[in-house]
Amino acid sequence: MTEIVASEPTTTVEAVVRIDGLSKSFDGRLVLDSVGLTVRRGQIVAIIGQSGGGKTTLLRCVNLLERPDGGTIEVAGEPVFAAGKVVCRSLARLRQSVGMVFQRFNLFPHLTAVENVMLAQQRAGVGESEALERSVALLRRVGLAHRGLAYPEQMSGGEQQRVAIARALALKPTVLLFDEPTSSLDPESTGEVLKVMRELADDGMTMILVTHELTFARDVADWVVFVDGGHIIEQGVPAEVLGRPRELRTKAFLTTYAAGG
Amino acid sequence: MFEVPWSDYAPSLIDGLQRTIWYTVGGFVGAAILGLVLALLRLSPLRVLRLPAAIYTELFKNVPLLAIIFLTYFGLASAGVRLDVFQAGVLSLIVFYAAYLSEIFRSAISGVHSGQQEASEALGISRIATFGHVIFPQALRLALPGTNTMLVDLLKSTSLLVTISAAELMSEGRIITSETFRALEVYLVIAAIYFALCYPLSQLLLLLERKIRAGVPLSPRRRRRLRIARELLAQKEVLA
Repeated sequence: MTEIVASEPTTTVEAVVRIDGLSKSFDGRLVLDSVGLTVRRGQIVAIIGQSGGGKTTLLRCVNLLERPDGGTIEVAGEPVFAAGKVVCRSLARLRQSVGMVFQRFNLFPHLTAVENVMLAQQRAGVGESEALERSVALLRRVGLAHRGLAYPEQMSGGEQQRVAIARALALKPTVLLFDEPTSSLDPESTGEVLKVMRELADDGMTMILVTHELTFARDVADWVVFVDGGHIIEQGVPAEVLGRPRELRTKAFLTTYAAGG
Repeated sequence: MFEVPWSDYAPSLIDGLQRTIWYTVGGFVGAAILGLVLALLRLSPLRVLRLPAAIYTELFKNVPLLAIIFLTYFGLASAGVRLDVFQAGVLSLIVFYAAYLSEIFRSAISGVHSGQQEASEALGISRIATFGHVIFPQALRLALPGTNTMLVDLLKSTSLLVTISAAELMSEGRIITSETFRALEVYLVIAAIYFALCYPLSQLLLLLERKIRAGVPLSPRRRRRLRIARELLAQKEVLA
């Protein structure tokens, strides 16, 4: 398995996520087949590909929401999965350092926006007033200070997803995972959410996103990974993978998407 | 029509009323705790935990409460376990209503979207805290209507304890009847007292349901948190 390092070979920026030989199957069906991927600090990696190709599973393995069958995962220099076992000292600590944003937002419906952002901090032992101040600051950062006391059901999809991003940032994660963050949004909301993500990228946040937004991937990501049939078919800078793909399957996928809009 | 000297019987009626309330409180609190435990057992991935809880629920859901009352009071006594009337009464109510409440709780807990568990765990929140802060509060909202119905039903069912002379409201009614031979009058009054107890209770519970659904903060701590949040959110741009 040749592993392509997702950056210039000469840089010595530390790897925030290092995945090697990752395999996972569901009910005997191989979803990930010996996949390797390295994400360096400050990098924005877009994972693209057809539904069911394994891209979401790959993302969910990073914070062990999905338990792989084999391979190794390292997050921020610490081995978290090796030899078929979870090896990190604390699953909670790993997940505090890896924020995640879901397709369906998954905000806590019984809590207001500000409480949604607060909860994880309180459970992690951050004091009440500090957690409150930080939550308000984060809501401000995603442009939702005026919606802080609203409940999820009172907010639009775009607003909910921005609160979800603030919630994922609450514990100052080293890396953010986005699982198709705009797939259940209308175009206007999609624009709002992508704007916030772009700002995070400008701030130097390390992000891995599974996305169908190829324009966004082209503009914001600095590394694109095309996954199909449980394999990484092709990866490289957006201009190459999206502009001059080498592999037939990548070409076919991009043609379908371009035709679709 | 009113010939019973009610002022003479007022103290015993108040006694009976108090006992009815104690049976209700004891029975309901116990049944809620046991019901929750049963619900959690039934949601366990382990069959050894699931099965006994399922058997319990099916068993006690399909036996009349009166039979359970006789079994705990007379039955256990003949087997050498002598419970006093209050213990036997509360135990019967707990055993019977836990079966129903466990069904309500189970469906409420499994009615909380699986993405909630996932989102909470992805934030590094422990499994226990996830249940306490994410799953349980949402399940509570789902369980509230059914649970409230059960509470009122339990209150009314305490009248069955007349069969073991539990000295609650219905038992007092029977004593007054035997002394005055005015069954219609006495039981009308007793029925009116039950109504005066149950109707406001169910209305109050409905109100509570609506408040919780509307997200009204009920604890002082949460009220305070939201008040401070409101102030912070209203401030102009602060450097974070």
